[in-house]
Amino acid sequence: MLSDFTFVGILVLIAVLLPVVGLGLSWLIRPKKPNPVKQSTYECGIETIGDTWVQFRAQYYIYALVFVVFDIEAVFLLPWAVAYDQLPLYALTEAVIFVLILALALVYAWRKGALRWS
Amino acid sequence: MSDTTFEKLRAQFPDAVLDVSEFRGDTTATITRETFLDVARFLRDEPDLQYDLLVDLTSIDRRDLGIEPRFVTVYELYSIPKNHSARLKVPLPWDNSTEMPQCPSVAAIWPTGNWHEREVYDLMGIGFTGHPWLHRILMPENWVGHPLRKDYPLGGEPVYFSSDRDNPRFAHLGKPIMEGPSYPSKLPDDVDSETHLVINVGPQHPATHGVLRLAVELDGERIVSVNPDIGYLHSGFEKTGENKRYEKFIPYTDRMDYLAAMNNNLAYVLTVEKLLEVEIPPRAQYIRVILAELQRIASHLFWIATHAHDVSGTIHSLLMYALRERERILDIFEMFCGARLTTSGMSVGGLRQDIPGAFPDAVRSFVSEFWKRLQDYEAMLTRNPIWLSRLKGVGILRAEDAVALGVTGPMLRAGGVPFDLRKAQPYSSYDHFDFDIPTATEADSYARYQVRMREMEQSLRIVEQAVNRLPEGPFCTDDRKVAPPPRSEIDLSMESLIHHFKLYTEGYKPPVGEVYGMAENPKGILGFFLVSDGTAIPYRLHVRGPSFVNLQATDLMARGHLLSDLITIIGTIDVVLGDVDR
Amino acid sequence: MDWISLLLVPAIKSLVVVVALLTGFAYLSYVERKLVARFQVRYGPNRAGPFGILQPISDALKMVFKEEIVPLNVDHVVYLLSPALTVMPALVIWAVIPVSGASFTLFGQTITPYVSDVNVGLLYILAIASLATYGIVLAGWSSNNKYSLLGALRTSSQMLSYELPMGITLVSVLLIAGSLSLVDIVQAQRGVWFALLQPIGFIIYFICGLAEAGRSPFDLPETENELVSGFATEYGGIKFALFFMGEYIHMITISALATTFFLGGWYGPFVNQIPVLGLVYFLIKVAFMIFLIVWIRASLPRIRYDKLMHFCWKFLLPLSLLNLVVTAVVLVLVG
Repeated sequence: MLSDFTFVGILVLIAVLLPVVGLGLSWLIRPKKPNPVKQSTYECGIETIGDTWVQFRAQYYIYALVFVVFDIEAVFLLPWAVAYDQLPLYALTEAVIFVLILALALVYAWRKGALRWS
Repeated sequence: MSDTTFEKLRAQFPDAVLDVSEFRGDTTATITRETFLDVARFLRDEPDLQYDLLVDLTSIDRRDLGIEPRFVTVYELYSIPKNHSARLKVPLPWDNSTEMPQCPSVAAIWPTGNWHEREVYDLMGIGFTGHPWLHRILMPENWVGHPLRKDYPLGGEPVYFSSDRDNPRFAHLGKPIMEGPSYPSKLPDDVDSETHLVINVGPQHPATHGVLRLAVELDGERIVSVNPDIGYLHSGFEKTGENKRYEKFIPYTDRMDYLAAMNNNLAYVLTVEKLLEVEIPPRAQYIRVILAELQRIASHLFWIATHAHDVSGTIHSLLMYALRERERILDIFEMFCGARLTTSGMSVGGLRQDIPGAFPDAVRSFVSEFWKRLQDYEAMLTRNPIWLSRLKGVGILRAEDAVALGVTGPMLRAGGVPFDLRKAQPYSSYDHFDFDIPTATEADSYARYQVRMREMEQSLRIVEQAVNRLPEGPFCTDDRKVAPPPRSEIDLSMESLIHHFKLYTEGYKPPVGEVYGMAENPKGILGFFLVSDGTAIPYRLHVRGPSFVNLQATDLMARGHLLSDLITIIGTIDVVLGDVDR
Repeated sequence: MDWISLLLVPAIKSLVVVVALLTGFAYLSYVERKLVARFQVRYGPNRAGPFGILQPISDALKMVFKEEIVPLNVDHVVYLLSPALTVMPALVIWAVIPVSGASFTLFGQTITPYVSDVNVGLLYILAIASLATYGIVLAGWSSNNKYSLLGALRTSSQMLSYELPMGITLVSVLLIAGSLSLVDIVQAQRGVWFALLQPIGFIIYFICGLAEAGRSPFDLPETENELVSGFATEYGGIKFALFFMGEYIHMITISALATTFFLGGWYGPFVNQIPVLGLVYFLIKVAFMIFLIVWIRASLPRIRYDKLMHFCWKFLLPLSLLNLVVTAVVLVLVG
């Protein structure tokens, strides 16, 4: 068990090394001749108007909120699914009720207009 | 038809009409500046007249003609329901006490006047009172003078480069030595860059089909307003044309809507021929129709290719399929005139040369194969759910808005107006052929897609008929004052030699007068306004680019849509920047 | 357990996986270009080496030697970190994917055909896969560029949303397999592939996989026609290459997971007699999935952003829930 995660850790280490080596190698050999025009922010060749980090509309954020609710609930389903063949029949009914509640939440969010893009 | 217009006008406004003249079938009325807006409104609203389409708005600087007052604005009107046209001229008295002569703005009567008036203001230096936002449109904001005025000097101005690689002092590549002056165009005052995200789409952007800049005001991903900024490709074709002989301007027309060079050629030579009043032999007319319709297909193919590409991403296959077919059309052009893109395929008086013997067969084989190809494209897109969801209901431009904004071509027909100059005022023997005008009613991007697809089919029908019924005979007029004699004749006839010599050294001299010529281009009406002072060089040459006018509708079409839809909308306008900026 | 089997063997295996993935990425970019070129009646890369086979190498060299251009207003640390953050999860997922059925013995060591058989493999995959979002979101935010920002915002909500139906569909797979270990899941498909037992689940998974990897028709994070290059607009050289690498390895990973969960992993005819066939079958199935992805890219338009979200929340998510319930009920009925 522990060794399994040691193996994963070794792969993670190598995966971290890869981009570091790439960036480092490139840093060593690439030319560096910066100037203000090159370093300006790209906006189709025009100087930018206004600030990028402005207050932004919340459409994306609402999706994120709904997601958090659903994702946590979905996690509860995983142990149930793994142990499914050892569970008695009422586990099925319980799970179905659970999924129904999930679906109800979705319908609620839907009706509330959280999923409408406006 | 126009006679009744001006009779009515005289009856309604006895003092307004200074003069009515007719030349080559064009009737022109001169209206006083004071009464002009009333006259304009009357012409638009009177049930018998219904001049609903302001085709063009331009101006003439009559300094070298010695006519007072020096500046005059010209309005070319057309009535879609009544199929008649009229031209108004408004002389603008100017006592030099103000900065520039002033003219009342028609932007409230015909909204299309908005950009036209900005163009006149920019290039000719005429102010428009009551204009919503009078700023330069083609030239940079800091430009000095008004280039189309006759006293504006010809000559170059310094061109700024950001780096000079040949200069040993600045051998470090890319080191900037001279900052080009940067004057970003102004945005309209109601653009709110504090709480909204203002994002530039273009000029260096993958989806703007050239150097077009759209300053898009976004609320989240929803579009609040779109502010097109054009003129990056402005090359002063009108000024160039006013310093060249009539025939020499044909290569410039190639470079306006560079995807439809043949159609541009056709519109221009038709206008010059109208001025000269020459007869074109039927064979030349038929060949012109074949070339123009093939070019229309090529232009639409390029449109579907880039449109599918815009909506889909870089890898969509239709891009290459459509370009493969377009390539075959370009091969046919090459067979005819040696050039593929900038063809200069037609000349005043007919054609430059006859078609080669293999031409009809090449056209026939293309036509028969293209019918099948067209079905392949439809199979890829027409009922594709993603395609439908991207196009349906996006960028709606109702017929009345389209007419008010002067939008013509497939964009107008997609709103249900069956207006096509090839039917309304047949030119170049279009009335000999049996074809339909495809229309749609939804007025959205999908309707425009369908109209253009159907139009390709109709063009194929025209090409098929024209190539099968191609008459024998000469390929250009035998008027030796306009078209050169054949090479063989020059060896035998002194007279031919003289004609040839005169034509190539002096050109032809049309009579004094002014004409407006229009033709149905793939993108809409292409109009040329020519003023002749009796010399071999046009005194005034004005171009009405269909893309220029159509682009004005972007803001109306895009408001309230998402940023993704803007890309669809630009695609369905089928804008060519050479045509916009000229 | 000695240090050889605890450290050296897994290290070598990890290296092999990473090198294989890098090669796979390089040649996937080549194969994709070639394939798309054939779809589009073109030749594709054919200059570098015979049939352009050296193209990926020349691309890599070019990327490494590219001048570094860092815009002035970026958030430097995050800007540099995010390409690395994108690549790492794509690689790390491969720790638990079994590429073949049979272990073999080399120098007295038993070599298993996976880096690690974690008993919570599926959970591990879901966890790591959602990390990939960070790289893209941070890249878009730190670039201080409007296109990047819009691209990043789109990415975050797109990837989050599509994780849900994907996760719930995988629960249906779990129901049948009864284990979170990927090796066990593959072994459960000895008789019948889950693609046949879970056809709807397979389709949902595939669609979500496309969305997660940001592939057409769900390539909204980039949308070069609207947002120039989306989150990667301000990136160039090796940093761009890392993003590119992340996207392509992600694509391989999605295909490998689809193979593992639904297409029977390494199983195929005669795999018990000739164990090496397992690896071959696995690779063939992965290649087939990749081919599907490329094919879709060459033929479908791109979905508009709001429709993409609606499709996920109003169609895929209810469908995956329904699929889960039906699976559970049928399992009880069948016994």
